[in-house]
Amino acid sequence: MAEMIKLFVNGNEVEVEAGKNLIDAIGAVGIEIPHLCYHPALGADGNCRMCLVGLEEGGPPLVPACKTPAAEGMKVLLDADHIKKIQHDVLEFQLINHPVDCPVCDQAGECSLQDYYMTYDGQKSRMTVPQVTKSKKMDFGCGVVHDQERCVLCGRCVRFCRQITRTGELGIVNRTDTARVAIFPGRPLDNRYAVNVVDLCPVGAMTSADFRFKQRVWFMKKERGVCHGCSRGCNITIDHNREKDQDDLIYRFRPLFNEQVNGYFICDEGRLSYRDENENRLTEARLSKTTISLDRAVTASLKEFKRAEGIVILISPDCSLEQMVSIKSLAEELGAPLSGFSDGYIKKGDGDDYLIQDDKAANRAGLTALNIDSSQSAFEEALAKAGLLINFNNDLSLFYDESSLKKLFKEKRVIGVTSRDTKLFQMANLVIPVASFTEYSGSIINCDNILQTFNRAITKNDAPLDMSEVAALLGGPLKTNGDRYDKLKKIVVSLNDFNPDTIPATGLKLT
Amino acid sequence: MEVKILSAKFDIEDGHKLEIAKQHGAYATIDKLFSMKPEEVIEEVRNSGLRGRGGAGFPAGVKWGFLPKGTGKPVYLAVNSDESEPATFKDRYILVKDPHMMIEGIIICSYAIGSHDTYIYIRGEYTSQVKALQAAIDEAYEAGYLGDKVAGHDFKLEVTVHRGAGAYVCGEETGLLESIEGKKGQPRAKPPFPAVAGLYGCPTIINNVQSIASLPFILEKGAEAYKVYGTEKSSGTHLFGISGHVEKPGMYELPLGLPLLEVVEKVAGGVWKGRKLKGVIPGGSSTPVLTPEEAKTVTLDYESMAEHKTMFGSGGIVVLDETVDMVKLVENLIYFYHHESCGQCTPCREGLGWMLKIIKKVVRGEGEISDIDLLSELCDNIEMKTVCVLSAACTMPVRSYLTKFRHEFDAYVSEGASTAEANQE
Repeated sequence: MAEMIKLFVNGNEVEVEAGKNLIDAIGAVGIEIPHLCYHPALGADGNCRMCLVGLEEGGPPLVPACKTPAAEGMKVLLDADHIKKIQHDVLEFQLINHPVDCPVCDQAGECSLQDYYMTYDGQKSRMTVPQVTKSKKMDFGCGVVHDQERCVLCGRCVRFCRQITRTGELGIVNRTDTARVAIFPGRPLDNRYAVNVVDLCPVGAMTSADFRFKQRVWFMKKERGVCHGCSRGCNITIDHNREKDQDDLIYRFRPLFNEQVNGYFICDEGRLSYRDENENRLTEARLSKTTISLDRAVTASLKEFKRAEGIVILISPDCSLEQMVSIKSLAEELGAPLSGFSDGYIKKGDGDDYLIQDDKAANRAGLTALNIDSSQSAFEEALAKAGLLINFNNDLSLFYDESSLKKLFKEKRVIGVTSRDTKLFQMANLVIPVASFTEYSGSIINCDNILQTFNRAITKNDAPLDMSEVAALLGGPLKTNGDRYDKLKKIVVSLNDFNPDTIPATGLKLT
Repeated sequence: MEVKILSAKFDIEDGHKLEIAKQHGAYATIDKLFSMKPEEVIEEVRNSGLRGRGGAGFPAGVKWGFLPKGTGKPVYLAVNSDESEPATFKDRYILVKDPHMMIEGIIICSYAIGSHDTYIYIRGEYTSQVKALQAAIDEAYEAGYLGDKVAGHDFKLEVTVHRGAGAYVCGEETGLLESIEGKKGQPRAKPPFPAVAGLYGCPTIINNVQSIASLPFILEKGAEAYKVYGTEKSSGTHLFGISGHVEKPGMYELPLGLPLLEVVEKVAGGVWKGRKLKGVIPGGSSTPVLTPEEAKTVTLDYESMAEHKTMFGSGGIVVLDETVDMVKLVENLIYFYHHESCGQCTPCREGLGWMLKIIKKVVRGEGEISDIDLLSELCDNIEMKTVCVLSAACTMPVRSYLTKFRHEFDAYVSEGASTAEANQE
């Protein structure tokens, strides 16, 4: 627990965390100090001047809250008339050259300028002279589109590229009101985290080419999620919407702050992985290319089990712990060897020293925790002896090319339990659709051994089953989440003291 | 009225050359300097009452005393030679006419504050001046006044000239530091002050050329001899650049404390062409204007200027005769400061551009009374809300014209553009 200090805001005593600046310290107890340029991940710059506050007794009468550490006994003035006037005046300056094109701006609804205007300004424009004109819809690369006229020159994007990615593609050129954020000619954004500048931008100056004009933000529902793009498990906000007569679709992933996992950011690849949740989904069961009902698919599967001379079960390293334990129990029930072979998920050298990991599997640590063998030899030996492969969403095509797969599956029956309608699963004799990771609740363990839970965010019109439920239908003994968790606790010792609802939202570091 | 302390060698032919300068006493204080302790030097400067000649007038000795002790970091001296304030032309004389006086001052200051690296930040447009200065520095290195052993003493001193690229704001001391570091010249938020964390994060003293050049005299003759000139709180002499509508514009060295009008009359030959006085800008374009009435009582020192709600500034006095169109003057003023705003802080970046467009509208004869009021309000809304004082350097004088010559602005509104033409005739 951080050290607490007492200070006064508008004469009222509040207890805040020591060692933070006034914006964060006072903000933590629910008192907003307006700011545009300050961002906790990027530090204080002090250029926007929105956060000027008064200090009674001692010190200069006017200080930028972003650069002022909270101190014991400090008397901060926020509601005095002269402070309110400054907030209003600075906002007026921000707005005089702003196009105020909110109706066609993607940021509308989540724009600091809009929000602050409603809170701190709310007056008619006094600008009777022509505005400054600058460039619009500039392609900054990496799917970032820049509008210089909307820009408030807070420099968050510039600082992000200097401090976080250390690639420095962006800069502010020119002085005075002709200052603008720019790239060097022919040197666009070129880093794997570039689209974070869109989230960082407090206004609509940076927009995502991918998201532009797709949805008004106030129509979308926001749910917490955990990215399954690699073993980092970055926390995300899933923005989705069910438009009239359409399915529940995801429009974007945005980073969600989690100090011990991903901080404030996510990589661009993970951000765009929402597409896989919408596209190329397997929605109906198929037997030899004929669509069948789920019931028939289950019956057909059970027949296959009986007919098969030896079964091997393959599990995806993206599965949740609950799914893994369900499938493990099913394998035990069927007496089938279980493999988590997924070397194809590891892209050697692809990771960096920041968020991106070599291992593109979301829950490989889960395989290890549940003692599921992942070796290539064990998998291939087991498969050679078996007549039936049940593949729970493991993308073998990441490891084997098409001809190797054909060789591998020769004279085998294959049942695919999958969320994706890919070439690999089109090779299967029977496929059963299941929910993808935004559509079920579960828990996974990331590369740093942090256990994270997540809840179902999306409900499809024809909601496919959770893989655990499919495992149960196929004869797995764990029928409820309670069963699954009890079993999990028996295998993973460090989970003994926890239940799914007592695991902190920010994750649990396993020992 | 004129005195010759800083300008003593200005009239000597080739006085900028080391050989000639030495014949007239250059570097004569070096041996005395090294016989003193650094604290004694600081004490002497503090006693002399020398105040920063860059415009703010902060006591030099006191500033040096702010340096933290025992940080283990190098101490830097930055000499501010970015003389860019309109109507200011004093440092350039030192750079060209007597650069060795400044180098001697740098040695004195460096020894006092324990610095072994000096950066001279010189205005980019000073192309001939930088040549003269660099030539003098080269001479000083060759003669051993700079380098590993300053004049044979166990003291190392390196001097580097850094040229600006044409930004007024780099004369602001932290903008200057950013520029030396190779970054965009944008002032830093203070605290921390440069004395604590300045150039490359190290303790740094920044002094104006004239302040540094005043040191050899103080060290040679002593604080008391310096205090003979000037007033009790504004001691010594100053290089005044007198320009505008006077018979004899030029650079004059005068003791502080003289009555402004007397100087205009006796030194600069009075308002030219027998015209009447309309106003006086006392110390560079950023200082609030004085009316003829106010000018009668003001004296050329920091205290009297403050009493008259203006500033001593850089000593760049501009005399305005009765033909001056104050509205156009303000347009020119805002144009300059808008152009020079670094664009960092919102109020200055956006506000000065707004003010410029409004004043242009007024000058075109399209303004309304509400525009004049808005100009005045914007001055309040911008001033002191920013990291540095560039915004105030614009709003303070503009406000003074708006208040003291409001009728001229109103005339532009009521009579339209014809006023401008009438004023021209």
